[in-house]
Amino acid sequence: MGFFSTKRSGKAKVENEMGKLLNSKSIEENTERLKDRLRDCDDIVYKEFRVGAEQSLKFLLVYTDGMSSRDMLNDAVLNALMIHAREVPPDATEPGEELYRLVRYGGLPASELADNDNLEDAILAILIGDAVLFIDTTEKSIIIGAKGWPMRGVSEPNTESLIRGPRDGFTETFRVNTALVRRRIRDHKLKLKQMRVGKRSFTDVGVMYIEDIVKPELVEEVTRRIKTIDIDAIIESGYIEQLIEDNYMSPFPQINVTERPDEVAASLYEGRVAILVDNSPFALIVPTTLNSLFQSPEDYYDRWYVATILRSLRYVASIISLVLPALYIAVTSFHPGILPAKLVISIAAARQGIPFPALIEAFLLEVTFELLREAGLRLPAPIGSAIGIVGGIVIGSAAVEAGIVSPIMVIIVAITAISSFSIPSYSLSVGFRMLRFSLMVFAGVLGLYGIMLGVLLILSHLVKLKSFGIPYMSPYVSSVGSDFKDTIIRVPSFLMGRRPLTIARNTVRLKNNRHLINQMEREGDNDDKK
Amino acid sequence: MMIKNNDNVSPYQIAMIIIMSVISVGVFSIASDAADAAGTDGWLVIALAGALNILAVVIIVKLNSRFPGKTFAEYSQIVIGTILGKILTFLFAAYLLLVIAYVTRAFTEVIKIFLLFRTPTEVIMLSLILVCTYIVRGGVECIARINELIFPILFIPFFIVLFFGLPLMDFSNLLPVLQTPADKMLTAIPSLIFSFGGIELALFYIGFMKNPRKAYKPAIIAVLFITLFLVMVTVFCIATFGKNATTQFLWPLVNYIRAISLPGLFIERLDGVILSLWMLTVFTTIVSAYFIVSYSISKVVGTKEQKQYVLPLAIIIYYLALQPDSLAELYEWGAAIFPYAITSFLYAVPIILLLIAKLRKLGVR
Repeated sequence: MGFFSTKRSGKAKVENEMGKLLNSKSIEENTERLKDRLRDCDDIVYKEFRVGAEQSLKFLLVYTDGMSSRDMLNDAVLNALMIHAREVPPDATEPGEELYRLVRYGGLPASELADNDNLEDAILAILIGDAVLFIDTTEKSIIIGAKGWPMRGVSEPNTESLIRGPRDGFTETFRVNTALVRRRIRDHKLKLKQMRVGKRSFTDVGVMYIEDIVKPELVEEVTRRIKTIDIDAIIESGYIEQLIEDNYMSPFPQINVTERPDEVAASLYEGRVAILVDNSPFALIVPTTLNSLFQSPEDYYDRWYVATILRSLRYVASIISLVLPALYIAVTSFHPGILPAKLVISIAAARQGIPFPALIEAFLLEVTFELLREAGLRLPAPIGSAIGIVGGIVIGSAAVEAGIVSPIMVIIVAITAISSFSIPSYSLSVGFRMLRFSLMVFAGVLGLYGIMLGVLLILSHLVKLKSFGIPYMSPYVSSVGSDFKDTIIRVPSFLMGRRPLTIARNTVRLKNNRHLINQMEREGDNDDKK
Repeated sequence: MMIKNNDNVSPYQIAMIIIMSVISVGVFSIASDAADAAGTDGWLVIALAGALNILAVVIIVKLNSRFPGKTFAEYSQIVIGTILGKILTFLFAAYLLLVIAYVTRAFTEVIKIFLLFRTPTEVIMLSLILVCTYIVRGGVECIARINELIFPILFIPFFIVLFFGLPLMDFSNLLPVLQTPADKMLTAIPSLIFSFGGIELALFYIGFMKNPRKAYKPAIIAVLFITLFLVMVTVFCIATFGKNATTQFLWPLVNYIRAISLPGLFIERLDGVILSLWMLTVFTTIVSAYFIVSYSISKVVGTKEQKQYVLPLAIIIYYLALQPDSLAELYEWGAAIFPYAITSFLYAVPIILLLIAKLRKLGVR
């Protein structure tokens, strides 16, 4: 034993072609180096053990406490090795090599094993939750996939609950999330490109796509953009989103975020690319269009006219949440003549004695409402609803009674708030909230004309915007008629024969079966007549 | 790698651009012009003018097809020489600047009449021009897309509003048909040509298509659509008010929409609706022309980008639009300049260039 350990002793550290420090043959030296590198990391466990007839074969198992499954290591490593190591002939010339081969290809009843010859990779493996087994007298070590940490189970997504549809949502564990998607796409064409982003966090980032549906340049662009990220840590998928989006000044989200694996799967089938990030239950979907932000997975599970009505309702709601307070300001302070006389009189009567101009009144109430919403979000659910009651009922009616705001303004703010909640995408509704305030200023300065200017500005911006090369307003601006099947209207399922042409290739997804069903029905009728 | 800016205009977008740049402030006054020119046969004159313009647009597409991938600013230099081509392009840009200034000012006056009585003209005008510069800086792709996007937003409510007025109409007002002598009808055509101004922008926009030969169908359909729409508006106005009253109005279409009142409709006066529709037409007309101006200037000067000319041009437009003292003066100016400018750029220039190109055997085929 001593013979081999002295052969490469001393401090003659050898590096491989990647510039990484190679393992030493001596287990003592390896231990020393590891402990030096990982000093003051008290959650690292070094388990040294000896097996063999004479207890002469030394092993070192290193893992991070809490991140590796102790049961698995006990079962698959310690238990197994203590038995199998006896099979090494005692007179082998190079017991290390022999032992390594035996252990690597048979000794360990573990499903995930990898070879390793350098310290850097070994340390990374240890820190991401795997265990590394060092064997004395050989520089090869074995990485054993033993990740197992306490994790949240798959549960219903909180931010996107549906009446109808699967109840499972993403978790914080990357592998669980990829599995949830894979369960919905059992096709070998579903690809998952994994990379590690973050110089310190080494966060797993996965790019998922279906090879023959997605446009190859899109995948290339996504991976290229992710690879340009040079950051110390990725805590949440929001980091990636903000670092790779097209226009950081836009109030509109250019990347769709979802907690739902069914939505990710459906997007992949449309030719989009999903980005999954470890430690985040939110997957990113690119390219995103304004239209796709108005879609909810339920639209496809429900019957088509239900979906169509709900879709149009959402579009109307978004317009209301954008312009209603601004319209109120413009009409009351510039053009009362537009409304029917009776309505004008009741509005004017309600505003009687209000000390503020309409713009200030609207701002006052809108800001109060935003405060309430923010306060309600931060509080635990039971108290949050109390805030809602206090804000909505108590402050609202008190403000009206005190004569600070008019009751009509309260109604307007309430309708606006409800409308903004009915937009499926949270980040889109936040964008609309911001734009609502600027439109209110436009309306306060230039009336209806100001609102029109503001709306034209928003339209111009939307038309300019692109998400990963796809115009944000497509299919409304892409001259592709067949893509209109899935916009404000959602046509019956049997007609949705093609994927969106602006995004996907290989576009046929469904063959119309309606006539087959009708034919069978006719045949059935004929049989009855006989 | 991703294509960053493909600068392509699809055939469908060509149709949208032509329609949206022609339908402008003119649509609100056309019924009165038509009734003025030919009485109850006014709509027939418009139809004739439309037929003439189909011919013009075919010539434009023919000319552009000889130079695929090139716009008027580029091929005019090939056909009649660099210097003459540059001068012609510059003249075109100057004419378009006048159009933009005219439309901006006319619209500003309308806003002052309908909505903002006390707001200074300068504020209204400047805010409109600045909003336009934002989209123009985006390039031809954005212009094409905004036209495509606004088309349904404009025309769906437009048609709904127009058809709400059906109960007001008395179609016997259109009688007698074909009373006007043929020679009077033909001489009336030029006075209605300004309503078709904007088609000449196709000289440029078709150059941004991948295959200009595909422009025939959309361009002809666009002109047909415009003609039918203008005929419809004229017929509706004359049917509602009769030819004599129609000639008296400055904007018969506005009076027509104002006359519509439906019981139970939430909005009493449709002024807001009129204004919104009007604004959309004005906006698309301005941006389509505005882009061509900045593009032409970049071609005349010989720079690659058009962006940097957009803001300085805004100042020129603002200055030009401030010149007339009143709406009447503005209309006088318009009547003095535009019929000649449109006749030359819509008919004379394309025909002459096409002939020269044919004689010198320039371009494809």
